[in-house]
Amino acid sequence: MTTDPLDALHLPLVPIEPRPEFADALLRRIEARPGPLDRQAATIRYFVADLDASVEFYCRLLDFEEELRPSPVFAMLYRGDLRLLLSVPGGPGAVHTLPDGTVPQPGGWNRMTLQVADLASTADSLRRHRVVFRHDVQAGVGVRTLLVEDPSGNPVELIEPTAGYHERSNR
Amino acid sequence: MGTSDPGALVAVYRRALPQVYGYLLPRCGSVVIAEDLTAEAFMAAVAAMQQGAAPEVDVPWLIGVARHKLVDHWRRQERDERSRALARQDEQELEDPWEETLDRVALHAALAELNGFQRAALTLRYLDGLRVAEVAEHLGRSVRATETLLVRAKAALRRAYRRSHDD
Repeated sequence: MTTDPLDALHLPLVPIEPRPEFADALLRRIEARPGPLDRQAATIRYFVADLDASVEFYCRLLDFEEELRPSPVFAMLYRGDLRLLLSVPGGPGAVHTLPDGTVPQPGGWNRMTLQVADLASTADSLRRHRVVFRHDVQAGVGVRTLLVEDPSGNPVELIEPTAGYHERSNR
Repeated sequence: MGTSDPGALVAVYRRALPQVYGYLLPRCGSVVIAEDLTAEAFMAAVAAMQQGAAPEVDVPWLIGVARHKLVDHWRRQERDERSRALARQDEQELEDPWEETLDRVALHAALAELNGFQRAALTLRYLDGLRVAEVAEHLGRSVRATETLLVRAKAALRRAYRRSHDD
């Protein structure tokens, strides 16, 4: 085994006390943080099997942005005002495992619905990336709609508004 | 056990703060930036906990969040700088080996002269001792691209190091 001379760069973690004024100010910010109910972003949690593949899927193909990936079992993404939490169930900490041992599973039929500008080209792009389609583009009421699966089998519905599309007016 | 209560962060705050700050300060080399990134890391931790997203509120997890913030900082810096100077990419890669023993202080100083991506890659790989695959994950690049980046970063570091030694 050869040693890398740049291993000399290794920097062990040595605690450093920051300025007390800074430390106090930050603590006040943490304590003053408004609760989740005060926040605007609608939040959805999806359970996924493979975090990397899922983040890649949502960010590359569906215009989400990665906000946080603090651990191998969790990521927080945003798409406009929508916040999507991705959790790998049954991982370290296993916070989502029920007391009786039930582990949440990806899949099912409830889904998030994302509006896109051009459903046909989105469908083409998803097809090129070998995304699983539950159904291809079809006409719905006020929308054209497409149902695909993320890499863990969670449904994601994509819609493009058509005549008669209803949106709540700004109040 | 994990908890989603931000109060758990307040409980570990006094103990965790010097660790997070002690991680960031020597790596970014600026009190102002280290304070900003420390605050960003803790506020991100609060947000994650409010979502029930933090598996365990402990120092290693907070360091992980801080590491993300550090990489993001260099990424932003790199974006800003790229508009100003595209050059600096003199890339003749001569296969001359490093000296046997390196001056650590000079090496760390040379690191500060590199561009954001290179600095991020070398920091994660060598200062933090992460594996190449882990570095790739943090940078959002493939392992191959990260290996290439590391080769270039090492070459750039060597030039900066030599320059400082020749002065």
